[in-house]
Amino acid sequence: MKSFQNIDVKSVKEAVGLLQKFQQQKKVAAVIGGGSEYLQLMKDHVVEPDYVINLKTIPGLDYIKEERGGFRIGALAKLADIEEHPAVREKLLILSDAAGEAASPQIRNAGTIAGNICQRPFCWYFRSSNFTCLRKGGQVCYTVTGDGRFHAILGGGPSYIVHPSDTAPALVALGAQIKIAGPAGEKTIPLEKFFLLPSVDYKRENVLNPGEIVTEIHVPTPRTGSKGFYHKVRERLAWDHAIVAVATIVESNAGMVRDARVVMGGVAPIPWRAAKAEEFLRGKRMDEASAKQAGAIALEGAKPLKDNVYKVKMAQDLIQRGLLASL
Amino acid sequence: MAQAPKEFSIVGKRTPRIDAYERVTGQAHYTGDIQLPGMLYARLLRSNVPHAKIVSIDISKAEKLPGVKAVIHHENAKVPWSSGGHTHQRFIFNNPVRFVGDAVAAVAATDRHIAEDALKLIEIKYEKIPHVLDPNEALKPDAPKISTNGNLSVGKGAFSAPIEESWGDLEKGFKEADQTFEDTYITKHTNNAQLERRVSIAKWDAGKLTVYASTQGVSNARTDIAKDFGLPLSRVRVVSKYMGGGFGNKNQAQDYDYMAAVLAKVTNQPVKLEFTREDDYIGMHGRWPSEQHYKIGVKKDGTITAVQLDAVTNMGAYRKQSGNLSGTDFYNIPNFKKVIKPVHTNTVVSANYRAPAYPQSVFGFASFLDHIAYELGINPLDMFMKNRIQKYKSKLPFTSNYLEQCIIEGSKRIGWNEKWHKPGAAPGVNKHGIGMALGGYPFRPGLGAATIRINADGSAHLLVGVTDIGTGAKSTMAIIAAEALGIPLNQIQVTNGDTDVTPYSVGESGSRTTSFTGPAVIAAAEDVRRQIFALAAPELKAKAEELDLRDGQVFVKSDPSQKIPLERAVARAGELIGRATTNPEFKDVEGKSFSAHFAEVEVDTLTGHVRITRYVAAHDSGNILNRMPAESQIMGGVVQGIGMAFSEELIIDKLTATPINPNYRDAKVPTHLEAPNVEVIFVEHYDPYGPFGGKVVGEPPITAAVATIANAIFNATGKRIKELPITPDKILQARQV
Repeated sequence: MKSFQNIDVKSVKEAVGLLQKFQQQKKVAAVIGGGSEYLQLMKDHVVEPDYVINLKTIPGLDYIKEERGGFRIGALAKLADIEEHPAVREKLLILSDAAGEAASPQIRNAGTIAGNICQRPFCWYFRSSNFTCLRKGGQVCYTVTGDGRFHAILGGGPSYIVHPSDTAPALVALGAQIKIAGPAGEKTIPLEKFFLLPSVDYKRENVLNPGEIVTEIHVPTPRTGSKGFYHKVRERLAWDHAIVAVATIVESNAGMVRDARVVMGGVAPIPWRAAKAEEFLRGKRMDEASAKQAGAIALEGAKPLKDNVYKVKMAQDLIQRGLLASL
Repeated sequence: MAQAPKEFSIVGKRTPRIDAYERVTGQAHYTGDIQLPGMLYARLLRSNVPHAKIVSIDISKAEKLPGVKAVIHHENAKVPWSSGGHTHQRFIFNNPVRFVGDAVAAVAATDRHIAEDALKLIEIKYEKIPHVLDPNEALKPDAPKISTNGNLSVGKGAFSAPIEESWGDLEKGFKEADQTFEDTYITKHTNNAQLERRVSIAKWDAGKLTVYASTQGVSNARTDIAKDFGLPLSRVRVVSKYMGGGFGNKNQAQDYDYMAAVLAKVTNQPVKLEFTREDDYIGMHGRWPSEQHYKIGVKKDGTITAVQLDAVTNMGAYRKQSGNLSGTDFYNIPNFKKVIKPVHTNTVVSANYRAPAYPQSVFGFASFLDHIAYELGINPLDMFMKNRIQKYKSKLPFTSNYLEQCIIEGSKRIGWNEKWHKPGAAPGVNKHGIGMALGGYPFRPGLGAATIRINADGSAHLLVGVTDIGTGAKSTMAIIAAEALGIPLNQIQVTNGDTDVTPYSVGESGSRTTSFTGPAVIAAAEDVRRQIFALAAPELKAKAEELDLRDGQVFVKSDPSQKIPLERAVARAGELIGRATTNPEFKDVEGKSFSAHFAEVEVDTLTGHVRITRYVAAHDSGNILNRMPAESQIMGGVVQGIGMAFSEELIIDKLTATPINPNYRDAKVPTHLEAPNVEVIFVEHYDPYGPFGGKVVGEPPITAAVATIANAIFNATGKRIKELPITPDKILQARQV
């Protein structure tokens, strides 16, 4: 690991100010919350910051507050706290489950919700110091010629990473909003608009500009009659990213679907919302046939690489399972 | 069941490790914990090209970095590493480099971060040589040559190639068969992945080299170092007190021990060289991958008449070990022939990993037998029972063989007869399956040595060369000594793993610790008991041979009330020293520990995820000397097998020849959630040749695990997966065929 200076900050404003200052000085600076993700990137020489701004010393940024109509979750709320929060479990089970599926207990006890959403890719080429891949300033995405068994089947090109977050698909399905602090003040945008496809920018995974920090997630409580599920397939039951994950929320009345959300993780460079499948389901009776068809619609246009063709059917089937679970 | 000749006082109980307290409270000093005054820290630079000549290496910038004390490479540190390769001379740094990961340079600095930074300042010009990654490609005549002898890895003696073995009459065997089956099974390179990364600390004092190693064999490490550095054995000391596991890839001395020694010599300071986890995955070795082609002849009732195995094993760039495949060992095969070609490729080296030649070929052979049973309409339990080995190579008897009881007791415990169903016949999306396979490992006698010192207060000091690689060997030795001496376990102090102090040990690999050194401990105890009895005889007014020692009291056998405390007998001599070197041999018998494993799985045919719902491991390891670590050994071996079955595989990027997942996260060693509750059955008996009736425990438990799980998956799905690891994508693809 390259030597760096750690700076404990007391407020978001201070952190934003430091980020701006270091940017002007042309120094590499980054913020960390739990550090479980960023420190690993440093150890692997993927990033080599001059300054690390420690947000954990900001008091009171780890709240989970229930308000009328939803929850406000501070950027530093730990995954384990979200997983175990009684009201979150009761009203946002899909989020609680997704948080509980992330990484391992050790990492969930350190890792924060903002950190989970802002994770860098876990593509093995990206993580290896032996490869200067497209996303790290190189010329090629090695996945194209190399081993892409876990990589994107949707939204890929020119980079084929998949977004590794477990909580992001659940939060997008829930219609969460994300609050961002920056030099120009605060702004709130739908989480769905937070993530960037590589065709837009293949060097970053989200819209955060230099100097900007995620400060809060707002999650509306689903309407009564909604049922949400998070299903994740992986090789290893802990400390493994999704091969395919599916977040489904179905709001139904007397067996008829009023509204549905289908968001996939592990298949695309962003949490992939299957809007056409959602549209198809509206007004349909939820049964095996409609769930199956929704799965097929969701994967229309999938372009698997040579090594990950299996993911298409896996995703279709998992969507079907998620939707039928709402019955 | 054979009975023990006497009742044991401590052998066979559940005894916690004698050093458990130090280990769990952090007081045990592992090699990596050792700090020496003025110690420097070293890091390694490895080749990023698979095959190339180093045209030039410029270390001037690295040397100028403040804190850097030495930089060594192939030109200024041309030290042979004899045990690192047996087909062509291997050095600690090689030119040409032969795989991505071949060591190129080492830096010693005042801290490891500076050493790491210095690596980036080393400038190397490579002249690329064509390379080959696939072992079948490597055998073609026009393939790039990795060894001077070619890519079929031909060394001397145990390292000759191809590895050939045969008995009976193969042609006759196939003629006698009602049906003949042929198929190919494939296994991948998996890493030993022991918790403790490799680490070595070297220092020189007046021409004497001390290496604090993380080795499975202090004696053979010393021999290696002395030979390659041209030193007398008396000038090399190797110490290994506590180890965080090795599973076969820390035996002997390794290149990092040598590099630390060279750096320490050059800088005249102690040097610690610790691998990173990536170094550990690509710089040392893992299990050899294999492509196994079987031809098996059977009678209608499933009886094997002939087996022919043709295989290729990928040894990587250097031949460190055999490359053999021995999964057929547990079956009665009247006519047999195998031809195994260990092959060089420009990939990470493959060598010993727990039961080196077994789990990959038990997977191949036991999967195929299971499949033949299916083709013939035979219940696999009957197939395995019918064909289980009874005599070694159909000829020699075993010292003991309770494989049949393992099959009976294991199948009963898991409820085979109630739970087995036709393959693929389970209803629903989540399919239940049950499977089994046979395993084991050779039990051999050999050279061992031990010294026991009885102190004036009656306490004892046991000196053995063995290192405790995690098996509880230190405790086993103490238990054997306590039993043989007749004094309480807590009166025994064990000093182990230090070539300046402890006697010879063969090396704690190949399940040889208890079977080789155990008899020496017993003999050393007998030696010192004779001395005790001679000293006590006059006071007890009896002949020495009429005396016994138990619970620290010397007494007359015919009248135990006539006794004196041990210390009184010893006091006269100041202290007593018993010693023994033993080297028992088998005559007209063969030794083997056996196992029969059983698993139940639930396969989610929609996601390809497999959950092991039950696991039963029945083992014949003779008499069990200490149940607690013995059971842990079985559980650990099974879990390693689970990793190999489901997820572990070192993946090499084809374009760049670079391993892309050399770490715990991406090579996917199993976690607690993958580990089922392993129900361990010991079919216990007293083996007449083992120390206190014990055979071997450490290597066997991984051997059958992979095949057992694979066969359970077949029973669940009706689809045979012939290539490891059995990942969700393979299960889904098999389903869609």
